[in-house]
Amino acid sequence: MHVEFLGVPRERAGVAELDVQADTLGRLLGTLAAQMPALAELIAVDRLHPSLVASLNGDRFISDPGTPLGDDDCVLILSADAGG
Amino acid sequence: MPFGYHGCYLRIDVSRGSVERVPLADAVLRQFIGGSGLGVRLLLDAGCAHLDPLDPEAPLVFAFSPLVGSPLTTSAKFAVVSKSPLTDRINDSLASSGFAIAGKSCGCDALVIVGRAHELSVLVIDDGLVRVEPAAECAGKTCQATEAELRSRLGASFRIAAIGPAGERLVRYATISHDGRHAGRGGSGAVLGAKNIKAIALRGTQRAEWAHPRELTAISKDLSKRSFGPATEKYRDLGTATNLLTFNRFGALPTRNFQSGTFDEAESLSPEQLSTTRAKTRDSCVACTIGCEHIYAVGDDGHVRVEYESLFALGSLCGIGDADVVLRASQRCDELGLDTISTGGTIAFAMECVERGWLDEPWLTFGSGAALLHAIELIGSRHGLGHLLADGSRRAAHAIGHDSIAIAPQVKGLEMPGYEPRALQTMALGFAVGARGADHNRSGAYEVDFSDKVDRRHVTLDAVRHAIDTEDRAALMDSLIICKFLRGVFDDFHAEAAAMLQSVTGWDVTAGELRETATRIVAAKRQFNLLAGWTPAEDTLPERFLNTPLPNDAAAHLSLERLDALVAEYHRQRGW
Ligand code: SF4
Repeated sequence: MHVEFLGVPRERAGVAELDVQADTLGRLLGTLAAQMPALAELIAVDRLHPSLVASLNGDRFISDPGTPLGDDDCVLILSADAGG
Repeated sequence: MPFGYHGCYLRIDVSRGSVERVPLADAVLRQFIGGSGLGVRLLLDAGCAHLDPLDPEAPLVFAFSPLVGSPLTTSAKFAVVSKSPLTDRINDSLASSGFAIAGKSCGCDALVIVGRAHELSVLVIDDGLVRVEPAAECAGKTCQATEAELRSRLGASFRIAAIGPAGERLVRYATISHDGRHAGRGGSGAVLGAKNIKAIALRGTQRAEWAHPRELTAISKDLSKRSFGPATEKYRDLGTATNLLTFNRFGALPTRNFQSGTFDEAESLSPEQLSTTRAKTRDSCVACTIGCEHIYAVGDDGHVRVEYESLFALGSLCGIGDADVVLRASQRCDELGLDTISTGGTIAFAMECVERGWLDEPWLTFGSGAALLHAIELIGSRHGLGHLLADGSRRAAHAIGHDSIAIAPQVKGLEMPGYEPRALQTMALGFAVGARGADHNRSGAYEVDFSDKVDRRHVTLDAVRHAIDTEDRAALMDSLIICKFLRGVFDDFHAEAAAMLQSVTGWDVTAGELRETATRIVAAKRQFNLLAGWTPAEDTLPERFLNTPLPNDAAAHLSLERLDALVAEYHRQRGW
């Protein structure tokens, strides 16, 4: 599956996107936390810090760590404060 | 008189140079707090809703707040409140920094300005003493040059808010500028211009006492500490401009006058890209620990504050991806004293009219940086086509005809900010019902769209209460006043706001009372609009958004029926 970072998460991740093996949102976040120390500060085990949100394919926002992810899915990680 | 206030406002008639100190009842202050709330209440008391906003007798209110001057981070703000010459409805615009602190130090909680000076003048308020001085040498000068000129004439201790050439020429979306920040939306600059007042200069020494200074200091320290955390990282690191790529990715970046929700050249305008190609510094309003202002080099020796709204309005909305042009356009709007959103929105509308053959100005095409810069000059001077565009897209549409009102990107006459309403449908409701028109500062409904509370492209009536919550919270923040960029910092905003207000005023105010206060302030704005002639038909969006799905996203479809149902539910829940 694919991950895209926008805004602060992109700055912290140091990349705009990458491919990851994960079958749930919680496992995805755990993998990202292990790989990216700066982003790990905003991940509590299997959940995002309230300042960040995740969207599944740009269609809906997801927060439940058990949310299943498929190989073709794309998870977008962005700042919760999307406006301004 | 409660702590935190002076218990009066100054009613200044610039025709005569006279001033009257008018007492403010404690109950009024408690019910409307300050800022936007107090400003609206003063306008209602003045019974002016029927007046032409550019009539000399139409009041222009500068409202301060109980928190300004306190150590609370981001509290150095003031509200400018009047009837809008762009919408003919209520308008409240906020700006920041030393002018707010100096204004409160003049020994009043608000200024209510009426009349018209005999010649272009500066209104000087020196510790509560008022005089009107000629300012002919400032005629035609930019906002920044006017501030500099008057500071050298009056002294560096004065804080100055000024209009640019656009305000002098009564452009209906002219701003009032202070220290590079603008009370931007709705044309308060034209209201000041109609009074022949180029600038207001003030200084003072009178401090309002705080009820519980020790508690206030403790709350302030804690809030400042939290303001350095992840909730404000976006503003510190990249600024609001980072929205650009996010909105583009979600198909919600208004492009070519809302003909698309994505812009191929978005990357070139993004702060991520801009910061690799040009010098950047950071700044903040006075008394702010966040510092969201990202200032980029432009041209040989210029610089400009870069905000998402300016990038979208002068960039993607006009089809322009050349960052040099967009930054120069934004800088020029700042100099002339033009609201960037309404400037970009009105020009983009005209570009589409040209594209459709409704307007015979072949030079004005999407993607042309030269055309954008030329159009801005014409608007600022009201020359040629600029005279039409200076009145905003709604009035321009009525003059152009061809049912162009269907594509004029406005609600109640106020040009829409950078949120594609078909892709962000809770925001569509926020735009439709907004008292000052399409607005992202008085409704934070987009936050709901960027959450798991709704399906942003198919919102249901459940979205309404969330939209109301964001509108109420904004009304409260704009009346206290504290910056909305702090909003993510609070665990329980109403409880924390009550604690702040208690420590300053000594009132036994609670979170529940503040919720009622917010509702009262929103209702007061509606009351003003009713008196000004509001009808339910105004709470809608232009036809384009109700009969055409987004070309790049067929799921982003908002029907008239759905919007009408949302608006009806909003009115029902408001009890209107
Ligand atoms: S966060 Fe930005 S807008 Fe808000 S007070 Fe600070 S510098 Fe000003």
